[in-house]
Amino acid sequence: MNHFALTIVGRDRPGIVSQVTEILFNLGCNLADSSCSILGGQFAMILILGHPEFTSLESFGDAFKPLEETDLTVALRVLKPGGETRSQIEGDLCMISVYGADKPGIVYRVAKILGDKQVNITDLNTKLVGTEERPVYVMVIEACLPEGAEENDVNNWLAPIRDELQIDITVRTIPTVEL
Amino acid sequence: MAVCSILCYPDPILKQVAEPVAVVDETVTAVIQDLVDTMIDAGHSVGVAAPQIGVLRRVLVVDVSKSKLGKDNNHGLLEMVNPEIIQKSGRTTMREGCMSVPDYTGNVTRAEHIVVEFIDRAGQLRVIEASGFEAVAVQHELDHLDGLLFLDRVSSLKTDLYRRKAK
Repeated sequence: MNHFALTIVGRDRPGIVSQVTEILFNLGCNLADSSCSILGGQFAMILILGHPEFTSLESFGDAFKPLEETDLTVALRVLKPGGETRSQIEGDLCMISVYGADKPGIVYRVAKILGDKQVNITDLNTKLVGTEERPVYVMVIEACLPEGAEENDVNNWLAPIRDELQIDITVRTIPTVEL
Repeated sequence: MAVCSILCYPDPILKQVAEPVAVVDETVTAVIQDLVDTMIDAGHSVGVAAPQIGVLRRVLVVDVSKSKLGKDNNHGLLEMVNPEIIQKSGRTTMREGCMSVPDYTGNVTRAEHIVVEFIDRAGQLRVIEASGFEAVAVQHELDHLDGLLFLDRVSSLKTDLYRRKAK
């Protein structure tokens, strides 16, 4: 089975998921992990899919043409063997909430500190909320901490930008339990 | 006394609602003993519910006293027949794993404090107040009596469901 990563973005409207998955079903594709969400006014789909025979972009022919004709942007990436499986991520899981008056650089400054400390971001969502006069930026990160790091370390690492950018940051680890 | 094998999803028994126990007789104490033996044999386990060993009766056992998270706040071995949560408060999120859903863990938010009423092995009605990990464990096992798995409680696959760490 060869694997592909497919992304589709377009103005949100009802029916995009059924339009896309009907094409994939008729092609004989198997859907594995996927994430689809509305971002701003756009609906974005990211899908990992497999096909027993397809090997390249050409294999799909013009199957996605109807999507492009309805103003959806389609991109397909051919995965190298093994590219469909997630590597083992060790370390404690933590959620980091960041919010404050909107200003440039919030995502970058937080991500830079986390990246430099080898914190592995596994999920990141941001949303612009509040009013037009007082926009508020909210970011929620899920991350795996490097070995030995704890909640308090993350707090300490982020403390300098908390003051500098005037943002609120809370970090909470989620204990793993076997039941 | 017997160590039983744990049923795994998609075994249909795990999705059924267990029957209340009318009288705590020797068939019930036998189930309790099987659950305790199975829990101890499973090593890492802090609780087992009867449907997990194929018995559709409202019986569960919980013991968090040997676990890191529960050792300072627990009631030791709890053997519960017809357990019912009569009060709950607070919220806590833990990343739960379940022997009936191997390989995956998921973030589940449950009540932090519970008051639970149940009949014990001796047939006595008891009411206890549990909190923290013990409260989570009771709620997790009680869900099994209602045919619910932690997968039913996960709110987002993207952020809440994980492949279990390699041991």
